[in-house]
Amino acid sequence: MFSVVIKGNTLAPHLKATSYAVGHKAILAAVNASHEGEEHIVSQDFKPIDAHSMRLINGQLKAVSKSVNAIGQVRYAHTDIKIPSFDAYRRESTKDPKKSSLATDADRKAFTYLMTASFAATSAVFAKSVIRGAVSTMAPSKDVLALAKIEVKLDEIPEGKNLTVKWRGKPLFIRHRSAAEIEKERAVDVSSLRHPEPDDQRVKQDKWLIVIGVCTHLGCVPIANQGDFGGYFCPCHGSHYDASGRIRKGPAPLNLEVPPYEFVGDTVVVG
Amino acid sequence: MAGFMSTTYNLLFKRTSTTIFTIFVGALLCERTVDYSTQAVFDHINRGKQWKDIKHNYEK
Repeated sequence: MFSVVIKGNTLAPHLKATSYAVGHKAILAAVNASHEGEEHIVSQDFKPIDAHSMRLINGQLKAVSKSVNAIGQVRYAHTDIKIPSFDAYRRESTKDPKKSSLATDADRKAFTYLMTASFAATSAVFAKSVIRGAVSTMAPSKDVLALAKIEVKLDEIPEGKNLTVKWRGKPLFIRHRSAAEIEKERAVDVSSLRHPEPDDQRVKQDKWLIVIGVCTHLGCVPIANQGDFGGYFCPCHGSHYDASGRIRKGPAPLNLEVPPYEFVGDTVVVG
Repeated sequence: MAGFMSTTYNLLFKRTSTTIFTIFVGALLCERTVDYSTQAVFDHINRGKQWKDIKHNYEK
């Protein structure tokens, strides 16, 4: 009595060997399709004739056709297959495989950074113009700016008189000072003043004093040519200003404010 | 070309600070160039029609 029990695993290595093989025309056709400049993965000498056949190329087993239990497959991991060349896709500077990547660093990155910087610069220009446009909507319009200035003819004001005009909603005093007044204000000892300012700092031309007619105490409008010092007198709480608009007596803490102005011919432009 | 690109990279883009500086200087130059060139095109198209072209006829 002699019986043989065939176990699957004893035969497995023999059967499995055939599974690492090329056995079908369709697969080979796909593998052989290649780009110009590349090496073929499977030698072009190999021509599958039919199923159930074995092929030897250069004396080596390259492909085995289907047998009973085997599955036809392309063999991928071979030491005899050359690595395909990707030179067609590489930069000039990286074609030498022995060259350090650090050496080609600048050449590889320059273009990318140049593009990024160009885009950023263009964006900066657009951002600037957008911000500029948004901010300029808050600027006063031309008609408002035109009303913010006032022009006064000076030859119509007699000596010793005070002209009051409205400027930006406030009274503006323009005083034609006499020679005696100029002398008097210049002679004042600056250190004795509450708000020490010499006369020549408060006027651009000695003959003309231009101040805003708002008392620095609580904002009343002073009266011209009144008070102890011959300048202005505030009727609300009794502040006395001299002919240079400086506080001399009373509760006000500061001299009358001098607005920005300039003389153009015989007129003065305030604002 | 490769030499120019790598010089550009090493001088301008290797450090973030110089990259930012390059961007702002580039933005300034770009804006000026566009402004002047478009103005020149406009003046060329409207030659003889603007106040600055006929000014000398009315002013001494």
